[in-house]
Amino acid sequence: MAYASISTIALSLGVLGAFVLVALGANNFAASQIGKFEIAVYMNTSATRAQTDSLARAIGKLPDVKSVTVRSREEEWAKFKKSNPNIESAGLQSNPIPFSLDVKVAQASRTTYLANKIRAMSGVNTVRDGREILGRVMAIARVVRGVSIAGVIVLLITAVFIISNAIKLTLYARRREIQIMKLVGATNWFVRVPLIIEGIVFGAVGAFAAWILLRIGGAYVAGTAARLPMMSRFSSDVTPATLALVLILLGIIIGAAGSFVSIRRFLHD
Amino acid sequence: MISIEGVSVEYQNGVRALNDVSLSIPKGEFAFIVGSTGSGKSTLLRLLYREMLPSKGRVIVSGEDVTALSANEVPFLRRKLGIVFQDFKLLPQKNLWENLAFALRVIGAQPKEIRRRIGDALNMVGLTHRCDSFPHQMSGGEQQRAAIARALVNHPTVLIADEPTGNLDPDTSWEIIQLLEQINIRGATVLVATHDSHIVDRMKKRVIQLDSGFLVRDQHKGTYQDSES
Repeated sequence: MAYASISTIALSLGVLGAFVLVALGANNFAASQIGKFEIAVYMNTSATRAQTDSLARAIGKLPDVKSVTVRSREEEWAKFKKSNPNIESAGLQSNPIPFSLDVKVAQASRTTYLANKIRAMSGVNTVRDGREILGRVMAIARVVRGVSIAGVIVLLITAVFIISNAIKLTLYARRREIQIMKLVGATNWFVRVPLIIEGIVFGAVGAFAAWILLRIGGAYVAGTAARLPMMSRFSSDVTPATLALVLILLGIIIGAAGSFVSIRRFLHD
Repeated sequence: MISIEGVSVEYQNGVRALNDVSLSIPKGEFAFIVGSTGSGKSTLLRLLYREMLPSKGRVIVSGEDVTALSANEVPFLRRKLGIVFQDFKLLPQKNLWENLAFALRVIGAQPKEIRRRIGDALNMVGLTHRCDSFPHQMSGGEQQRAAIARALVNHPTVLIADEPTGNLDPDTSWEIIQLLEQINIRGATVLVATHDSHIVDRMKKRVIQLDSGFLVRDQHKGTYQDSES
């Protein structure tokens, strides 16, 4: 009985914690992407190095531009060939890659304006700003956040229900004892307090188990994520101590609430 | 001491357990409440220790209107009462001494006080030698003595017994009733609900008879059957 309620609380809080950590991670990831504020500028294939450099200087003079880096078409081509060794035998002999520029923007809100301005300049073929990708990341983050909040609420209610059931079983097992306590004049608080403490202990122990699960799971996820490109930033800034504190506090609140619900019904007062 | 004034109890299904019952029991009295099963005896007793509330009327116990008590005050009413049941209500996993100590601990008595009061109560019921026994090791009569001892540890002013001899043979029943009389002689008001006619006839005490929730007889030095009709 105690085992069942503790493990269910551990599971509920564990899933809850995972939800929150993923949501925080997604937020951080989005923030790190926003932090790049980048515009990619592709020149016409006919554009020369000199034309590209002068355009780079012109863009560099625009307000809110942090930096401009010129990517040489030869270097890019060499890189491309290296990662696709079959490309020359496929009949592609000459370098199809144009000169390109990486423009870093100092202020995210200016990205679109600057992209449009650059698009109008001569020699520019294509301009891509990170708006699309960012928009998608932000949308995902919003969905994750919404789902987590809904999930957390459902799980919290479930956990309260489970504890209240566990306490109900305890109450049932001790009904004679409680009946006698009440007959000989025990106050309601005298009857309640040990049961509330029981609920709190269930909650706290379950929370501690959830914390251990999250630490193990988190370490595994972080280890995997570190090997993936871009995902290295997919982590939250929550320290283990904060996580433990929040989870145990939640466990205690859930435990006490669950006990209270059952006892109220049982003592019908 | 105990005063029941125009009390009716109606259950939600419309059944009337008590109909406009009024009676008064002075301090130090020994009274039987008789009547067949379902006549309202247990309901009347439950009103006294505030296990239930009447639909109408007032119930006064030692000067207090128990119908007006808040839930927080009920425990303090019960500490002035001793309550005994047909099924003893002893805790099977505790021995006699622990059963009594439990009743004192839940009201916050100190260990020294607990020892003293248990000693007195066990002495009164004649079970001092059985204090290490568990309920299943005791006879029915001993278990009821144990339950009475538990009711006595708080020095109750009123002892309420609901069918205390219902599970006991005639000789043992008589011993239990005599024990209750001893407690009455020492000053407690004793109320016994029973349908054991032998006991009632032998004791010649006040008899309050209920029939289908109506008070039909209240006779001093009465017998189980109405001798006057």
